[in-house]
Amino acid sequence: MTTGWHEAADAVRLEAVRKEYGDGVTALDGVSIAFPRGGFTAVMGPSGSGKSTFLHCAAGLDRPTSGRVVLDGQDLDGKNETYLTKLRRDRVGFVFQAFNLLPALTVEQNVVLPLQLAGKRADKRLVERILVHVGLDGRRKHLPGQLSGGQQQRVAIARALIASPAVLFADEPTGALDTRTASEVLGLLRDSVRSSGQTVIMVTHDPVAASYADDVVFLADGRIAGRLARPTAAAVAERMTHLGAWGRVAA
Amino acid sequence: MFKLALRTLRLRKGGFLATFVAVFFGALIVSACGGLMETGVRSETPVQRLAAAPIVVGGQQTLKLPEDDPATLEPGDKHKFENATLPERVRLDAGLAGRLRAVPGVTGVVGEVSFPAQIGVASALGHAWDSAVLTPYTLKGAAPKPGEVVADAGLGLTVGDTVPVAAHGSVGRYRISGIAQAPQAMRDAAVFFAASDAGRLSGHPGRFDTIGVFGGDVAAVTAAVGDAGVVATGVDRGAFELPETGRSGENLIVLAAVSGGLSALVMVFVVAGTLTLSTQQRQRELALLRAVGTTPRQLRRMVLGEALVVGVLAVGVAVVLGPVLGNWLFDRLTAHDVVSDVLRFEQGWVPAIVAAGAALLAVVTASFVAGRRASRVRPAEALAEAAVERRWLTPIRLITAILCFAGGTALAIVTVAVMTGPVAASTAGPSVMLWAFGLAAISPGVTKLVAMLLRWPVHALTGVNGRVALRNTRVGAVRAAGAVTPIMLAVGIATANIYLQTTQEAVSNQAFTEDLRADAVIGAPGGLDPAVLGQVRAVPGVAAASEYVTSTVFVEKPFDSGQHDDGRPALGVSELTGNIVEVPSTLGHHVGDTLSLRLGDGTPVDVRVTAVTDQRPGFERLVLPAELLAPHTTLGLAPQLLVRAAPGVNPATLTSRLREATAGLPVLVGDRGTLIAAHAKGNEVGAWVNYLLVGMILAYTVISVVNTLVMATAKRRREFGMQRLSGFTRGQVLRMAGVEGGLIATIAVLLGTLVAAGAIVPFCLVVTGSPLPSGPVTIYLTVLAIAVVLSLVAILVPAWAATRGRAVDATSVGE
Repeated sequence: MTTGWHEAADAVRLEAVRKEYGDGVTALDGVSIAFPRGGFTAVMGPSGSGKSTFLHCAAGLDRPTSGRVVLDGQDLDGKNETYLTKLRRDRVGFVFQAFNLLPALTVEQNVVLPLQLAGKRADKRLVERILVHVGLDGRRKHLPGQLSGGQQQRVAIARALIASPAVLFADEPTGALDTRTASEVLGLLRDSVRSSGQTVIMVTHDPVAASYADDVVFLADGRIAGRLARPTAAAVAERMTHLGAWGRVAA
Repeated sequence: MFKLALRTLRLRKGGFLATFVAVFFGALIVSACGGLMETGVRSETPVQRLAAAPIVVGGQQTLKLPEDDPATLEPGDKHKFENATLPERVRLDAGLAGRLRAVPGVTGVVGEVSFPAQIGVASALGHAWDSAVLTPYTLKGAAPKPGEVVADAGLGLTVGDTVPVAAHGSVGRYRISGIAQAPQAMRDAAVFFAASDAGRLSGHPGRFDTIGVFGGDVAAVTAAVGDAGVVATGVDRGAFELPETGRSGENLIVLAAVSGGLSALVMVFVVAGTLTLSTQQRQRELALLRAVGTTPRQLRRMVLGEALVVGVLAVGVAVVLGPVLGNWLFDRLTAHDVVSDVLRFEQGWVPAIVAAGAALLAVVTASFVAGRRASRVRPAEALAEAAVERRWLTPIRLITAILCFAGGTALAIVTVAVMTGPVAASTAGPSVMLWAFGLAAISPGVTKLVAMLLRWPVHALTGVNGRVALRNTRVGAVRAAGAVTPIMLAVGIATANIYLQTTQEAVSNQAFTEDLRADAVIGAPGGLDPAVLGQVRAVPGVAAASEYVTSTVFVEKPFDSGQHDDGRPALGVSELTGNIVEVPSTLGHHVGDTLSLRLGDGTPVDVRVTAVTDQRPGFERLVLPAELLAPHTTLGLAPQLLVRAAPGVNPATLTSRLREATAGLPVLVGDRGTLIAAHAKGNEVGAWVNYLLVGMILAYTVISVVNTLVMATAKRRREFGMQRLSGFTRGQVLRMAGVEGGLIATIAVLLGTLVAAGAIVPFCLVVTGSPLPSGPVTIYLTVLAIAVVLSLVAILVPAWAATRGRAVDATSVGE
């Protein structure tokens, strides 16, 4: 179960991960990358670059065709669905672009859901602290339908943080939001990294969103196409333009 | 997970209402059928005539028949028997009454006979006065001496009057010596005769229908009776008053078992379809649950939990209301003479348990299937923008389809190759279900295929709406199949059942009409005096006359493997005399053979085969002398006399001459038409049972189709909104929905017709030689019209509601 110290030092590590779909499409073509703990990394790439597949494989939502994924020191290779589910429940948090919340549950119920699924009691003070952290303390009894899109995303972040996961994966978390609301949500993610050392990996195609990260990884045609530390929106956009051109020529 | 299930239930009322409705009506119908079955099993007839006798002895109405030919069994083999119910009243010897008097503790033994008697214009049952204590009747006036009667108070007669009483085929005049008052309302009015008159008029002096025993204990009485009869106490005594309750009860059991079983099967499909659809519509939510850490097991438990909560609620309401529906059905059945109205509807807790068990089993099975699908949802799908329809062809579906089609084909081959006559319905009927279930198992694929085949007509008839509708049906084949399957089941089952029935009826009526050589009929509800035959033969213009007695006989020797517990239909005619029989060639006997028979009341008799005749397949009968058969029927006399006119004699003239000749006798004279009409009326009973069954299944299907389509269409608010934003007008969206409804109906009707044909064609080939059924084409058109209207309404109304308001609002609504 435990391996070398340097493995445990990374929150997530992919080794030569390939993912092919049944119809002959290669979504990931030998990706090797490590994400250090306590970092905020954005994964960027044009449409069809394999971003989503990358996220699914890294988070244990999908299995690579070959290669290895090590999540918080756990090798995911050969584990069954129930094991992966429990691993996700305990060590991974998710924020999706939309439809993050169960419409039947209140804000508070949605937030504590992962704990309940694991059969754990929710610590009232922890719940309160997290709801305060995301600025929704006054809305705990509301249903998702009564909240704005930005508020819903903040509830999703609260839920992702409740189990103190090793990694928080965010898939286009601001894709459905306006600029101002988006910056609130991104700021919240960055705060989680700064204040409590949370590891965040975010997939996005928006250079502005990527600029909130410490580090940007570029994907093109299923391969790592470069990294950029301490990004600015302009630098990211610049790189993306080249990636796009490169992608088209290669295809 | 249970709490989560409950919370979800509260918010998703729509989807769960659909499940509720499907389970509720399924359980309701099964429970009602269970009630009918319980009524049949109990066959409870309230004791009236024999109410005062604590112990009643009646005849042994069952006959043990060997299941296998005793000659072929090895000495060590077990002899298996089946119990046949004797159709005619088995009477008791008067000697038994004498033996019972000797049983210690017995204080009184009273023999009872009942026979139809007509007093004035009123129908009544005749009895001997000494048996009045069995009820007990109280007397005002004097006990009857020979030539006198005591009349039931309900008949409204007065002491001292002289009235004509018709019984045993003749009319006598009797003085009323007293009026008898029953302690309660009675089914039949009674006329009491002096013992000697009663013996003569019953036609079987010295033999009793039942014997009432006062005092003594049941065990001692039972021991004294031995094999000579059956002892009953309490509510069971009622069955002796009216032996036909046994028959009615059996009819009711068969009817209830068929309807209940069929409904339970349909319920499994409907509930499974509804649950699968409602689970599928929550795909994204389920995927999200998976992503945030719900294990497949937890998800399955959640789906099961939700379904069970809804199922238990639905079943709870259904079993409370089940007896109400059961009672209503029972009233309809008795009103149409399908079952005797002497039976009392009785529904205890057993049908409720059975219905609840069947319904919950359907729910658990369905939610197991739905839950398995749900738990296989890949969590990554939560991230996908649009849920893609999943692969539907599972090995289970494929195997089910293959097994059903193989079974259907096998039954069709058996029907055509082995069966003769209307019995072919017994293999043709079940094949409907096999074809239907086979197609239902692979319905998404079949729906897609037929939608593809319908491409050209749809393109020709409609514009862009039609094309989008076609794509929707093909791409959303699983959703469309959810609506196609129940309509197909309904169209198939209804068409097949109704046309099997009408064809059978037509064949039977045709056979009767063609075989009937009589020009006139003389009938008497109380039986015909044998002397009438001689009088009728002497009437000028009569070429031939014969008594006409129908009953059932059982062949004991040589072993008859084909009779089962139904026996062989027998016909008694006056042309034959002595112990002889004419047998149909299909039985394989030869002239000169001797058959050992049991007549309808169990009396053994040996008869010699004097002729082997070719008879119409399916309508074969053993023809016996009327004088041999009639005394062993309940009535004891022939109920009808058939008369053929001499050449050149007008049937109308013949009938009027017969009326003159039989004036003063308690008989009715009718012509050929009367006979044919009476025969057709007999068939209506079977038809009515079938219509009831079909009606119930149709009603259930209607509910489930509306359920499915409303649920599916209301969910497409977003899709409709998108279409409107991309340039569709509301009218175009509705037209598109209309074309989809039409497509669904067309596909379902095509498949349903195919299913029905799978049963009807082999059957019709056997009985009529033509692949097409007999019966009005309007029935088929009505079924089609119902299917089309139903699909259109169920899809257009929710579509209309879903496209109300602004398109933008519809698209912005999340899942």
